[in-house]
Amino acid sequence: MRVVKHTETNGRGRHECGSPEHRVHRRLFLQGSMASGLASVASFNGLFSIPALAEETKKQGKKCILLWLCGAPSQFEMWDPKPGTITGGPFGAISTSIPGIQISQLMPRCATIMDKLAVVRSMSTEPNEHFQGVDVLTRGEKPRPPFTRPILGSVVAQQLGQLESPVPQFVLLDPCPEGNEFKSFKAGNWAGWLGAQYGPVRSGGEYSIPDILRPEALSEMDHEDRESLRKFLSRKFENDRRSEAAAGYNAAFERVQGLMSCAPLFDLEKLSQADRQRYGLGAFAQHALQARHLIENGSTFVMVANGMPWDNHVFQHEMHQMLVPELDNVLFQLITDLEQRGMLQDTLVIAMGEFGRTPWLNEARGRDHYSKAWSLAMAGGGIRGGVVVGETDPLGFEVTQNAIDNRRLFATIFKALGIDPKEQYDLPDLPTFHRVEGDAQPIQEILLG
Amino acid sequence: MTIMQKTLTRTHDFKLPTAILGACLLQDENELIAACMDGVYRVEIGAKRHQRIGTHESYVSSAVYLAQQQAIVTAGYDGKLKWHSAVDNGLLREEKVHGFWSWDMALSPDQRYLASVTGQYMAGDYKYSPAGETEPSVKVLNASDGQLVHALPHVPSVQSVVFSHDSQWVAAGNLMGEVRVWEVASGKQVGSFQSKDFTSWGIIKSHCYLGGIFAMEFSPDNNDIIVCGMGDMRDPMAGNGRQLWQRWNWREAKMTAQTLEKQSGEGLMEALVLHPARESFVMGGRLRGGDWNAALFDLASGERLGSIKSGFRITQMLFNSKGELVVVGGQGQPGKDAEGKFPDFGRVEVYAIGS
Repeated sequence: MRVVKHTETNGRGRHECGSPEHRVHRRLFLQGSMASGLASVASFNGLFSIPALAEETKKQGKKCILLWLCGAPSQFEMWDPKPGTITGGPFGAISTSIPGIQISQLMPRCATIMDKLAVVRSMSTEPNEHFQGVDVLTRGEKPRPPFTRPILGSVVAQQLGQLESPVPQFVLLDPCPEGNEFKSFKAGNWAGWLGAQYGPVRSGGEYSIPDILRPEALSEMDHEDRESLRKFLSRKFENDRRSEAAAGYNAAFERVQGLMSCAPLFDLEKLSQADRQRYGLGAFAQHALQARHLIENGSTFVMVANGMPWDNHVFQHEMHQMLVPELDNVLFQLITDLEQRGMLQDTLVIAMGEFGRTPWLNEARGRDHYSKAWSLAMAGGGIRGGVVVGETDPLGFEVTQNAIDNRRLFATIFKALGIDPKEQYDLPDLPTFHRVEGDAQPIQEILLG
Repeated sequence: MTIMQKTLTRTHDFKLPTAILGACLLQDENELIAACMDGVYRVEIGAKRHQRIGTHESYVSSAVYLAQQQAIVTAGYDGKLKWHSAVDNGLLREEKVHGFWSWDMALSPDQRYLASVTGQYMAGDYKYSPAGETEPSVKVLNASDGQLVHALPHVPSVQSVVFSHDSQWVAAGNLMGEVRVWEVASGKQVGSFQSKDFTSWGIIKSHCYLGGIFAMEFSPDNNDIIVCGMGDMRDPMAGNGRQLWQRWNWREAKMTAQTLEKQSGEGLMEALVLHPARESFVMGGRLRGGDWNAALFDLASGERLGSIKSGFRITQMLFNSKGELVVVGGQGQPGKDAEGKFPDFGRVEVYAIGS
């Protein structure tokens, strides 16, 4: 296990890291300004230095696409069907390419590539509400105020990405401003102590990136001259004042400049019409295709979401009859495409939400939140296909074998990507943080090598 | 004009093992056929006895009674129609009618035709407008032998269907609030209208379309169609849209009346039926907010005449020849009890209507 010491001390107090931004934001946090407060710890830049392991992996070019099924999908209508039972719902189960393994009839395409998928049917986590569930399943751990643990995409971007690349290393494709818990997130909410430069570039629909095209009135030469001047003055200010804020602003400028050079990557219209038809016409499917395109062109982590459509407290079956087939096709197309391009072994694809749905139906024919026993799937990038981990009882109430919590899941994801799950850092007089806390062991059954 | 208020007094109340999605009365009206999540049940209302007489491969969504043939026809989420003997409960015939669910099935009043509607909602564009149909959404069949008479086009998902009282027209309503009307004899489409008030596009959670028309009834003169569902919502997952009915002149595609202000609460309305006296109709469904989930409305004025708060989701309502109201549905599926069993959660209630 590698220990990274955080050596920056200021001698002024045990809780300060030396950053003026940190002091300000800590005060906001203590005043109850959670949104601002969470952004505070963005300035713990460099707490994780890039270890040799990640350097090696960077050379290998490991990448990740997270199909974030926000709202929490039903395991019964996807990976753990219980046909013919009182809790099973109206859909049946179908056989897959792996003998003895069945999944929901709503997933006929994934059934044909089951040999490439690893399914965990025994997820069992604690939070049963969205905000807490999203936190735990995107960061790997419960909040520990006032520190903000970086979200998975930020960790992967920092460990495996190339910050100097003009292509954003962490991209969130989510068209819906009102749609989920991420609406109010600031950069620091995402990247936490890694620093805002590891936050995502958001795109898609309402989040389309504004102002990244050079105005026609500005010539290319003028634009470059202005940028050189801005860079010179900013670096000077940064060096003179030792300001992390200025460094953050510089990172942002550079990112925008990079975005201007790769704006076509974010233009759905630039994608092949045949591919767009093949993936499906809904926002989620279109952005999944765009994720493939971004990964092909240099992004390291792309998270695809579509608001919070899976939270079906009402019309469970009426909604899942549309959402699951869309996901089924997206997974099939994505995994098939990556394989055909020789990219699957280096690209981890994860499809999961923040928990599952209840075995029982409520009066509104919905399923409610359920974190005790739920499912997810992964493929590619270090994951062994054709494996189903764990099982639940005949009605899906309890995990009966091999319960997997968020820590084991994140240990598995990091291990698959070649990132050390055990890495820790010490901050003077504060508890030690680990990339994955506790003695969580990766799920060996689904790891290659 | 003074509208006489009505009282609805519960006279029978009992449970079935699973939620009831549809129902019909048999000839003597003492027996009910319940289309349930786990099969087809024959229920003796007075004796509170029931037996399961058949199953589908999924939920059973509708049941109708063919008096002349003494047969029961059920439709299910397996896309099948099944004919059962009302004499010995045996299975007489089954037909695979749809690739997807039968959302709803209706019997023409002259008992010659059945109509069943289907449709899987799939994304047709970036904002999830419904894609076109992959199979005919409306099928009209001979009630006696199940032979296909018409396969009619609509936009999926088509969730409700009804015949006119003279059996001349058949109407089907969909997710997007569009109702199409066909002449039964020819299969020719003779009218359509669209209400945008029953469909939500979720700004908050569900960035797709939800809702639609869940039940319909022709007016006594067959010139209008009364439709019901749930009013528009910012967050469809809240299920808190207005309890809504609208009356449309289907030939002119013109709305002529709807739930009056301050006479609705919140919740999905999915049952609507005309009173035998043809002066009122009753609408029911789920209560999300307010003080009723089934109410009797005056057909001429639209005034609410009386209401009930059943405490469970109502999926269908029927009148018997005495004018009593039979209400079926289901409460939320309870958890397992101490013995590991699920308590019954299908509900049947009967109400006497008085002045």
